[in-house]
Amino acid sequence: MSRGRVPFVVVALWSASAIFGSATARTFDLRGTVSAGGRPEPDAVVWLDAPDADGPRSDKPVVLDQRSLGFFPRVLAVRAGTTVDLPNNDRVFHNVFSFHDGKRFDLGVYPVGMTKQVRFDKPGLSRIFCNIHPNMAAYVKAVDSPYFAVSDRDGRFTIAAVPEGTYSYHAWRPGRQDLTGSAALNPDRLLALQWR
Amino acid sequence: MALKTCARAIVCGIVVACATIASAQSVAVELDQSAGYSTEDVAAAHTKLRAFGEVLPAIRFNVTGTWGKQSEESDAFAAAYPYTDRPVVLDAYAERTFRPAGRLFGLRVGRYRTPFGISSESDQGYVGFQRNPLIRYDDFFALSSTFFEHGANVMFGAPRASLEASLGAPGDVGEHTRSTGLDTVLRGQIVAGAVIVGASYIDTRPHLPRAGADSASPFGAAGGEVEVEAREVAPGRATFGGIDVRWMRGGVQLRGEFIAGRPFDGARTRGGYVDLIVHRPFMGPITTALRAEQLTHTDAGVLMLQGERYTAATRVRLPHGFAAHVEIVHNSRALPERRATAVDMALSYSVRLE
Repeated sequence: MSRGRVPFVVVALWSASAIFGSATARTFDLRGTVSAGGRPEPDAVVWLDAPDADGPRSDKPVVLDQRSLGFFPRVLAVRAGTTVDLPNNDRVFHNVFSFHDGKRFDLGVYPVGMTKQVRFDKPGLSRIFCNIHPNMAAYVKAVDSPYFAVSDRDGRFTIAAVPEGTYSYHAWRPGRQDLTGSAALNPDRLLALQWR
Repeated sequence: MALKTCARAIVCGIVVACATIASAQSVAVELDQSAGYSTEDVAAAHTKLRAFGEVLPAIRFNVTGTWGKQSEESDAFAAAYPYTDRPVVLDAYAERTFRPAGRLFGLRVGRYRTPFGISSESDQGYVGFQRNPLIRYDDFFALSSTFFEHGANVMFGAPRASLEASLGAPGDVGEHTRSTGLDTVLRGQIVAGAVIVGASYIDTRPHLPRAGADSASPFGAAGGEVEVEAREVAPGRATFGGIDVRWMRGGVQLRGEFIAGRPFDGARTRGGYVDLIVHRPFMGPITTALRAEQLTHTDAGVLMLQGERYTAATRVRLPHGFAAHVEIVHNSRALPERRATAVDMALSYSVRLE
């Protein structure tokens, strides 16, 4: 094979891979429920093992808002490596910090209208507090996967654009051990997770 | 009198409106309790109940009621709370903040803390210090953390440069209160990198001892005669200007506030403080703080009061909403009715219901 033909072959193989790959990787929105003790469990993080997957991407900034002396949402799930905006939308100063297992930082005080950013570069759980207001607390769960969601107040969740296949899944909620398991996931499957 | 009645009516109206509308909206209730003992032979207990949230998608409210009791009047444990031995309303306001095209516009109406300098309850009360700065305690003829306004507060500008103006009437709590009248507060703030600089100005009425509370006079006088005397020697208007600076990086905050002005005609008060507050991530739940402060008060050119104070404080956040506070206070120059060195210890508990 002459050297001049190498790029052509590479491009052809890449194109074929892209075409056939996309044809076989059918994606769907995975729906499920989380419960604990028979009751719907809000604010549980559910994710599927897929560390090398590209997954769906969004240009929307990921925000952990500070308003009315609280963090919103109270549980935030992100893919490891995501930068999170922490705007202060209260007219008092806030001082966001985290000192537990995950990302450790102290952003110092900043006033209304200003935003600081934190990159959650490794998988793990970060407990977020304000050093001024003792009742402000939130969790940021960084996962090594593009397929994750947080359950709503009815315990329901939706993970977007999941390729069909068999996955290891995990669920976490504050104060509980992680749930783990394996399941073949397809559009007809509802993933029901339960803490006893 | 009419102004005060009007202001009370506004506050009551807001409280009732908030309570009514809020029943179907996002509301949180927070309960704080604290108890402390100082080696100045002062014991104190305090309860605070706060309701806050959004009554409509963009309109927020904050209503705070408090009850506090001290074994004797002191600035110990007074950083965030007044000790009046009766229930009092602190904040009761509604506010809305607009963010048009990166700008900032905020309106607050009701009863709120006087927005002069580093004035927020959260700035003073929850970083470890148990006492007000000297320039924020109403015995010392400067300003007080128990100053409140009945009125309207407008903020405009951008997140990095904003102006705030408050127009209202004094609505103070505590032992020393300003007489009623028009009250103007202006404040500007600039954020440049890790530095926040503010400048404030207040034009208000002098604050005077409440009837029957005169034993707290820093000059050691007592009795009803002093009430008359104080009113005679506190004529005119009170005006103060101040500068506050904050710098922070990596959990280290250096801040200071300096004020100078006229507590009443013929008198001058000036002073300030510098705080070093350290909360590095490796320190976990522990925050440490150091403060150096000074205050000088003259009346008709005669030095009446001069104090210097140094404070080392620690606050530890404990599980389940508890926090422990310890501070050592040293007065290097005689402040009236103060020991040279005192240790303040407090335990607080806070819970939020949503």
